[in-house]
Amino acid sequence: MKTLIAIKEQYHTWVHEAFPAMHPLLLPLCNKPFIEYLIDFAILAGSREVRLLSDGQLTEVEEHCGTGSRWGIELSYANLHPADDQQQLLDKNRKFCGGGRTMILTGYNFISYNKQKSYLDLATIATDTPIASCPGGTITLKGPPESGASEKSPLAPFSITPLDSVQSYFRISMETLQTGSSRYVLPGYGSEPDCSIGKNVIISKTAQIRKPVSIGDNVQILPKTIIGPSAIIGSNVVIDNGCSVSGSIIIDNTYIGENLEIDMRIAAGNTLIDPTSGVSLTMEDPHLLVGIKTWATTAILKRKTIHALAATILLVLQFIPFILLFPLLKLQGKWKDDPYMQETGLAGALAVAISLDRFPLLLKVITGKLDIIGSSSRSTCAGKHSYPDSGPLSRLAVFSYAEAEDWPVNGSDAAIVERFHAVHSTPIKDIGMTIKALINRLTKGR
Amino acid sequence: MAFRLDTLNGITVGIAELNGRLVAENSTILQKTCSDWQQKTPFLVFDCSNLDFIDSSGLGTIVGCLRKALEKNGDIKLAGLNAKVAMVFELTKAKKLFSIFSNAGEAAASFAASPVSSKTQ
Amino acid sequence: MTITETSDGSITIVALCGTIDSSTAPELHKSPAIADTLRSVVIDLEKVDFLDSSGLGALVGTLRLKQEAKAAVLLSCMNPRVRKVFDITGTVKLFHIFDDTSAAVEYAATHNEG
Repeated sequence: MKTLIAIKEQYHTWVHEAFPAMHPLLLPLCNKPFIEYLIDFAILAGSREVRLLSDGQLTEVEEHCGTGSRWGIELSYANLHPADDQQQLLDKNRKFCGGGRTMILTGYNFISYNKQKSYLDLATIATDTPIASCPGGTITLKGPPESGASEKSPLAPFSITPLDSVQSYFRISMETLQTGSSRYVLPGYGSEPDCSIGKNVIISKTAQIRKPVSIGDNVQILPKTIIGPSAIIGSNVVIDNGCSVSGSIIIDNTYIGENLEIDMRIAAGNTLIDPTSGVSLTMEDPHLLVGIKTWATTAILKRKTIHALAATILLVLQFIPFILLFPLLKLQGKWKDDPYMQETGLAGALAVAISLDRFPLLLKVITGKLDIIGSSSRSTCAGKHSYPDSGPLSRLAVFSYAEAEDWPVNGSDAAIVERFHAVHSTPIKDIGMTIKALINRLTKGR
Repeated sequence: MAFRLDTLNGITVGIAELNGRLVAENSTILQKTCSDWQQKTPFLVFDCSNLDFIDSSGLGTIVGCLRKALEKNGDIKLAGLNAKVAMVFELTKAKKLFSIFSNAGEAAASFAASPVSSKTQ
Repeated sequence: MTITETSDGSITIVALCGTIDSSTAPELHKSPAIADTLRSVVIDLEKVDFLDSSGLGALVGTLRLKQEAKAAVLLSCMNPRVRKVFDITGTVKLFHIFDDTSAAVEYAATHNEG
C-alpha cells in the first residue's frame, strides 16, 4: 500500500499566526514534528512509499525528512491545488499510485494510534468510504484491496482529531506527553517512562525535574529552576535561574529569563500564549522572553558588507545629481519622504529615472538596516501574507528583485520573483541585480 | 493619567487611571507622579482597564510604587487588568505582590472594608 | 531549449527540454500551441534541467493569457529540481501539476467539455 498525505494550507493558517517562525508540518508535538506522526502511521499501515502533498512550501519539510531513508521508506514530495478533491489527487499522482492500493490522509489532523498494534490490515479492507473522518479531513482507502486478508483480528483502534487552533494543539501535546511514550515513537533518551531528554542537554544540579517532561536537544536548564510536571521543552532552549515551568510548552529557540513562572502557557520566541483563551502577548524586553536566532550569521555579515559597499559606491555616484535636484524638487513640493516618489515634471522624472528617490534609503544600507536589493515593502504588503514572507527570507531593501526583472506585472508576480531570488541570491549576484534594477528604472522612467 | 480622590468610610483612596503603554520610555513619569499622589494618600488604586501593554520596566515602576506605599503603611491595588497585562504579572510573579480586582470600584471598596494595609499572601 | 509539440485529441502536449532562462524563455512564446491562447496545453517539464525566474515568468505569463481565454495550462512530470523552484516561489498554487502526462491530458479534456 502507498500513502498520500495531502495537507492544504487553509487548514493550518492558525499556525502562521501563532508560531510565525515554524513550518506547520514541522510544528513539534512533544518534541517530534507533526509530520513524523503521520509518516509513522503510514509505516504502521504497511506503506513503503509515502508522498507529501501541499499547496504551500515543502522545501523546509524536504530538508528535514529527506528521502525517507531514515525510516526505510521512499518519501517523495509533490504539490496540489487548493481546489483539488480526492479524485484529482489520485489523478495528479497517477504514476505514484500506479493503480494500486492507496491510503489518502487529508487535512491537518492528529492521528491517535498505538505503535504496539498492527495496522497492516488497512491494505485489505474493501471500502471506499472514509475509515476515519473529522471536520478537518479524512483517512480514505482507494484502489483495489490487497490480497492476503487476515480476518482473524479486528483492526486496532485509531482516531483523528483536527489540529485547528492553539487550544487543540496544546491539548493534544499534553495528552501525547502523558500517554505518548507507549503509543508513539518519541525521540530522546530516558530510562524511565514519561521522561525523555534529548542530546546536549545541561541540567544544573540544583534544578528539579518533575515528571512527565520532555526535553529536546541543546537545552540549558540553569540553577534553581523547576521543570514540570507536564513540561514540554523544545530544542535550543535556555531556561534561566529560578524559573518554574509547568503544564506548559516551550517551543524551539526560546530563552526564558530569570525568575519567571510559566504555568499553563505556550512560549515561542518572544511570544507568550495562553492556550485556554488564545490570547498571545509579544514581549519587548529581551530579559523576559526572547527568540534565539539560529541562522548562519557569517553569511549575513558577508552580505551586509557587500551591500553596504555597493550602497556607498551608489551614494558617491548619486551625490552630485542629488544636491542639484533635491533642493529644486523640495521647493516645488514634489519631494516626498515616501521611498516611492511620484514622477511629476521633468526634474521629478529625471530623479526617478536615476533612482534619486532611493538616495536617503541608501544610508540605511550602510547602517545595515536595509539591504540594497531584496523585497520591496510594496509587494509584501500587496501580496497575501503567506508563510515565507514572515521568515528570514523576506529582506526589506532599497531596490526589489522585481525591479530587476522585466516580466512582473502585478504584486503577486513581484512576490514570486522576490522569493526566487531570496533563495538563489549570492552577494555578487545581488550587485548584478542591483545594476539591472537601476538600468530598468532608467529605461522605463520615460 | 487621570487621578481622583475618593472618600469611603473616612478613608481617602486615590484612583489613578493608567492608559496606553507603560514601557521604559514613559515609566519614569509614573514614578514621579506616583510620589505626588502618595503625598495625598497612601491608599492607591491603579485602574488598568485602559492599559494595553506593560514591559518589565513598567512593571518595575509599579512594584517600586508599591514598595513606597508599603513603607507608609499604605497599599496599591490593581483593577481591570486586560489579559495581556495580567500575563506579564503572572509570568514575573508580580501578581503575588498585589491585590487584584476586576474594577476600580471594588478595589477602592476593599480599602474601606479593611483600612489597615492587609496583605493576604 | 528544445520544444516538441504533440497532439492528443484536442489537447496539445508541449514537451520542454533543457534550460529555461532569460535567453530561452522568449522561444516559448513563439511555439504555436503556447501562442494560441485558445488552445489548452499540457506542458511536460520532465526533461527541463534548469528553470530560473524568467522561465517561471514565461510560464506564469502563458497561464495568465490562456486563463483569460478560458483555456487551461497543466504541468506534468516535474523533476525535483524544477519542483523546488515552483515550491519556493509559491507558484504551485497557480498551476495544476500532474506526475503523469496522460492523466493531465485526460483532465484537460474532461474539463474542456465541462
